[in-house]
Amino acid sequence: MADSIGVDVDGVSKRYAHRVKGEIYAARDVVLHVRPGEFLTLLGPSGCGKTTTLRMIAGYEMPDVGRIRFGGQDITREPANRRNIGFVFQNYALFPHLSIFENVAYGLRVRGVAEDDVKRRVGEVLALVGLAGYEQQFSSQLSGGEQQRVALARAIVIRPRLLLFDEPLSNLDAKLRVQMRTEIRELQRTLAITTVYVTHDQEEAMAVSDRIAVMNEGSVVQEGTAEDLYHRPASQFVAQFVGRVNLVPGRVAEIAGGTAKVAALGTTIDARVVREGLARGDAVRLVVRPEAISIAAAAQATGPLSATVTSRTFLGEKIEYLVRCADETLQVVRYDAGPDEIIAEGAIVTVRFTDGAVTVLPEAAARGRDDA
Amino acid sequence: MAGPTSGVLTAGGRHRDPAVAFTSLALWLLLALFVVYPLSMLFVRMLTDHGTITTAGLATILTDRHQVRAFWNSLLLATLVGALGTVLGFLFAFTAARGRLPRWLLGIVDASVLLPLVSPPFTTAIAIIFSFGPRGLITYELLGLKGVTVYGLTSTFLSEALTYFPIAYLTLRPILAAIDSNIEGMAFSLGASRWRVFRTVTLPLAIPGLANAFLLLFAASLADFATPLILAGNQFPVLPTQAYLQITGLFDLRGGAALSFALLVPALIVFLLQRYWVSRRFYVTITGKGAGQTPFDSISPAMRNGLLAVCATVALVIVYFYALLLYASLVMALGANHTFTLQHYRTIFTEGTKAIRDTLLIAAFAMPLGGLYGVLVGYLVTKKQFVGRRSMELVSMINYALPGTIVGIAYLIAFNDPPIELTGTALIIVACYIFRYGPTGIRATVALLQQIDKSLEEASQGLGAGSATTFRRVTLPLILPAFFAGLGVVFIRSMTAISATIFLVSIGWTLITVKILENMTELSLGPAAAFSVLVVAIVFVVIAAIGRVLRLFRAPGAMPMTSLLGG
Repeated sequence: MADSIGVDVDGVSKRYAHRVKGEIYAARDVVLHVRPGEFLTLLGPSGCGKTTTLRMIAGYEMPDVGRIRFGGQDITREPANRRNIGFVFQNYALFPHLSIFENVAYGLRVRGVAEDDVKRRVGEVLALVGLAGYEQQFSSQLSGGEQQRVALARAIVIRPRLLLFDEPLSNLDAKLRVQMRTEIRELQRTLAITTVYVTHDQEEAMAVSDRIAVMNEGSVVQEGTAEDLYHRPASQFVAQFVGRVNLVPGRVAEIAGGTAKVAALGTTIDARVVREGLARGDAVRLVVRPEAISIAAAAQATGPLSATVTSRTFLGEKIEYLVRCADETLQVVRYDAGPDEIIAEGAIVTVRFTDGAVTVLPEAAARGRDDA
Repeated sequence: MAGPTSGVLTAGGRHRDPAVAFTSLALWLLLALFVVYPLSMLFVRMLTDHGTITTAGLATILTDRHQVRAFWNSLLLATLVGALGTVLGFLFAFTAARGRLPRWLLGIVDASVLLPLVSPPFTTAIAIIFSFGPRGLITYELLGLKGVTVYGLTSTFLSEALTYFPIAYLTLRPILAAIDSNIEGMAFSLGASRWRVFRTVTLPLAIPGLANAFLLLFAASLADFATPLILAGNQFPVLPTQAYLQITGLFDLRGGAALSFALLVPALIVFLLQRYWVSRRFYVTITGKGAGQTPFDSISPAMRNGLLAVCATVALVIVYFYALLLYASLVMALGANHTFTLQHYRTIFTEGTKAIRDTLLIAAFAMPLGGLYGVLVGYLVTKKQFVGRRSMELVSMINYALPGTIVGIAYLIAFNDPPIELTGTALIIVACYIFRYGPTGIRATVALLQQIDKSLEEASQGLGAGSATTFRRVTLPLILPAFFAGLGVVFIRSMTAISATIFLVSIGWTLITVKILENMTELSLGPAAAFSVLVVAIVFVVIAAIGRVLRLFRAPGAMPMTSLLGG
């Protein structure tokens, strides 16, 4: 296997003429650094520029400005067929007129690999993806998951410097998606090929990636491990896009070191500061995950942080509640309630936040594009 | 991903490809020579008299009462054929799409509908004369009627409707099949009766298809030259035959040109309506996606039987006509002497060998060239950027959209004199076929290319293949079915066409269809029938062969070739 390379995307932009909106940016000043052997996922809603960015890395689109480097070497103007990449398309793009064997052999034949080696390598890679014996079939005879594996085999058989995936699992059913993403991850680990993966599914992103770059409106808004994004989102967009979240409005009462005291919900709550530049009196949002809130039944509404349960949904391993607390509705999840849980709709409860699980973001970082 | 859809603004723009530039230039030259030039010469001839511009000749002929009647007759005939043909086509298509027919029955329906499409133009007309003529099998032998006349509007109209309704069938069937029967089931579950569902859901969804079918049939009838020549008689003149008689009878090329011009106007209106109006009004896009596992029963069993009965009757009439044709070719003289004989076949294989040889030779040349032309133009206009791309697509369709009479007269005028003298050669007929029937291949190629996702070519590129390799190993194999389809259509038309080529045959090169016409006018009906049987047989053999070749390609969306005959 070729040595792993890093990929640098330096300030890349891509504009399109749009019939209604005029000129729009599909990608705007995108900066990414993929380390050798790393699995990086571009995560974002549709239209955020993640596929455009991936296609520019592949060479299917040329950036208007910016440079792209593979292992330090500038390949910005190289066409896709000279980049030595393995690309897995959303629709698999299997050649319908070629057998599975010929599909997988395609890149080897283009490279002029000797017939014996073609046979051996195709056989090996088909065995690797669990499709030994499928050589003479055609893609139309295969299930979605099998087609996916062929696409994967075709991409890795050429020993690419870089593996690129464009929403590869979106055409599969839920169960197969989970299975395939595990397989893709294991395969990538085995082969140690630097990988860039595009998806809009945050759970999928968390499951497969070493690191995730969240994109919005053409730009990367935060880059980090799944834990970083989940526990220390740098913007309200990331907080909301990665997992479920409560964004509780408040005002900074006091700020010292990494902790702020925030006036919210009729009381003062301690929160960790993840972004510089907060000052006393600033309007902020507390970022609280539903599982970081616990509720306990109370005899009557007393003092701050007492709340009323407005909705309770039993989901087996967990129970989801909506509670009304000082004019805010909070989402609460409880995982270990057990069979004797008695909190019903209408019950009065006291709310408690898990220590260290609350972070604070400036109100300004709510919507638009904000750099991590 | 929902990316921006319109063109790239800046980089990654147009690469100048010398191969594309050369090919498009060559195609433009050919189109100029064989499409634009003849048509321009037609106008010049029509509007000039010995070098001076005048509309006098045009005015004379277009105000002639006889010719004005021919104009309105043509429109009337086309309207009637369009209406009846669309109804018949719809009944067949609806039965096929919703009747839950077993496979074998569908096969019979398809075969009986295919027959008229691949036959030489006079077959239905001959069969009608055999059945309903003065000594017709039905009128004279069966009913004992004497002195009946078969010629006129009714027989022409029925003959054309039977000949052309398959076009409507082929147009409507995919549309009806694409209407998700769950939509009908939904309306049914809301309490509507089956008839109400049909009236309020199915029919409205099919209306663009019906309009399209009507226009196609209208155009086909407007352009039809052969049927009225045999059946219309002198009491019901129509434009194409009048133009023909003006030229062959009166040697008045300018008058013929003027008459064909009168034909051009409605033909052009229909073409534009079909292309720019009807085609935008389709509700359903044909995705090939299955419509659920258990389709809703749109029609009641009684209705189904009724529909089947109607279709069976029409199919029987068609089969009877062709059986009659075969029978007529095998007896001394139908209606007079029913002794079995091979005399007529002996005649066509002695006196007719030249026509048979010429026809096959011309078809053999036109077929590969027409197929190649279709794929080239189709590929260029879909996949490549070059100056005049859209106008090339439009210009390449002109000879296909115009009635054959106009094309034939235009070629006759353009290539009769220097600088380009082609009259009397085989080349003029071959060129006529390529540019008149090659466009079917263009449309097939465009349709196929649009189905081929861009990612297939990108996948090839990503795997290291250059654009030449990608074309050779991915694109070309995928559009081969279109090549063969184009090939097949050019061949079939080369065997069966007459409206354009009747003006282009010569002592040196003649055609079977022209021989059939000669036999008809000389009342040698036996040889005419034998020739027709021969043509049908050859066409069927070739279609079967091409079908086999097509099946070798496992490409998706490989369309049945017959669907291309639909116009």
